[in-house]
Amino acid sequence: MSVDFWINVGVLAGIYGIFTLGLQLNAGFTGLLNFGQAGFMAIGAYSVGIFVVSWGLPLWLAFLLAVALAVAAGMLVGISALRLRSHHFAIATIGFAEIVRYTLQNAEFSGGNQGLIGFDDDWRSVNEWALSKLASVELDAYTQLPLLLAIWATFLVLLVTMELLQRTPWARVLRGIREDEDATAALGKNTFSYKLQSLGIAAALAAIAGFFVSLNITYLYPTVFDPTFTFFGYAILVLGGLGSYTGVALGSIIFWVLLEGTRLMETSLSAGQQSSLRFVIVGLSLILLSRLRPQGILGNRNELRAEP
Amino acid sequence: MSAPTPILEVRDAVKHFDGLRAVAGASFDVARGSITALIGPNGAGKTTMLDLLSGFARLDAGAIRLANRSIAGMAPHQIARLGLVRTFQLTRVLAGISVLDNMLLAAPRQPGEHIPSLLASPRLARQREARARLAAEELLETFGLRLKAADYAGSLSGGERKLLEIARALMTESSIVLLDEPMAGVSPRLGRSILDRIAILRQERGTTFLFVEHDMDAVMSRADKVVVMAQGRVIATGTPAEIRADSMVVEAYLGGLAGERVP
Repeated sequence: MSVDFWINVGVLAGIYGIFTLGLQLNAGFTGLLNFGQAGFMAIGAYSVGIFVVSWGLPLWLAFLLAVALAVAAGMLVGISALRLRSHHFAIATIGFAEIVRYTLQNAEFSGGNQGLIGFDDDWRSVNEWALSKLASVELDAYTQLPLLLAIWATFLVLLVTMELLQRTPWARVLRGIREDEDATAALGKNTFSYKLQSLGIAAALAAIAGFFVSLNITYLYPTVFDPTFTFFGYAILVLGGLGSYTGVALGSIIFWVLLEGTRLMETSLSAGQQSSLRFVIVGLSLILLSRLRPQGILGNRNELRAEP
Repeated sequence: MSAPTPILEVRDAVKHFDGLRAVAGASFDVARGSITALIGPNGAGKTTMLDLLSGFARLDAGAIRLANRSIAGMAPHQIARLGLVRTFQLTRVLAGISVLDNMLLAAPRQPGEHIPSLLASPRLARQREARARLAAEELLETFGLRLKAADYAGSLSGGERKLLEIARALMTESSIVLLDEPMAGVSPRLGRSILDRIAILRQERGTTFLFVEHDMDAVMSRADKVVVMAQGRVIATGTPAEIRADSMVVEAYLGGLAGERVP
């Protein structure tokens, strides 16, 4: 039981790691408070489901289309809301995530509250194949292990890519915008275009995370993409530190070990009380961290000027 | 033979803010390669004029031409790409990035700033970066900031921030640089040395400077030409000597208010 439990923690940490890379790019490196990340994740996951179930597309093609669709949604949100400054933009993005959730909950194409099922056959066959390989090292009893490996391989590739991108003149413009958008525009940079690019990449990362969510739960329903999940991402960001992609990986692992690990506590509390206690523990850890190390574990104090 | 076309022509510029006429039909020229001072009492519309010239405020009526091209209605980054850069009255260094990165951000024509061209020719981006780094180090040397290159700009003192902002503006290789009170908030000695360096750069590069300043000694000793604004209008233009002899200017501004400084 225990190994499967921790494999699942690893799956969640990887998914939310990918999810939070986008928030790091937006909030940490561009100064954009994107609170709609869960909405992009939902678009990614649901598009995969709909393209496979209703359109009969292969899973991998559906995945690519889903990412493209999430980017398009990011552009749409960006074009309409990016001219708003900081907090106003944040509120607009929360609104967007809510629109996505209510649409999915009520529309026919998304299966409404009943959700979507039966889109992951292609993945199941890959999973079977991977398990047969893992049989040679006697690890085939852990059925979620292939997913864990796929997620973390993807996460690490994306993390390195984002890290490399961060060292380019392109990313320097983003950091300029984070510090002072007007001053950066005065130096000849089209700041709107850069903010749009930042948001588009974050939406793509959210869609990739959403794809893995769909493979993990094999059944899509609207409450999986509650907009509050964006704040799991921000909790991870604050834990790991603003301005560090490696911090995202570390923050995600710590966050999920804390949140899931506390399930294993032996207490005399009722199930409901205990599940509330888990969030209390995570909250207290964040408060403690903000006292002891306000820039986060790997955050850079000098770059902490960005909100939040 | 007529005089060569001015680099900047402002004609009957008007800008309202909620019924307040900040700029009320102002006209003047800035000659190419000149150091022109824009002076006037508080509320004369000087900073609004800089905002209009750099695209941070939109013209309500009139025309502005930069190197013979109308720039009315353009966004700040478009005007900057045409070769006009400005500094701000309250310095705006990018505190959370290094002094060197502040400078490199201002380097023109960096293909690495665009993902497609970055992927297409990473080598060109690296070459440009190396060249920009040399140019940045030279300018930082000129402004006495070479040793601070690796420091975060947020750690600089007020005077150093002023220097960095001006050095960063020069890094853009713009043909005209607008400076909003380059001497405000720095010691008189540093202020004079800033103006000295500007005079040298004008000689070396032929850059045009337009600066707003309250320090009359500095204006009269460094500017080739002075534009005087009052109540949103240009009331006089001329050489420092002509301005000093202009009774209307003396009455409107220099008289009782000479030497006035904004705190």
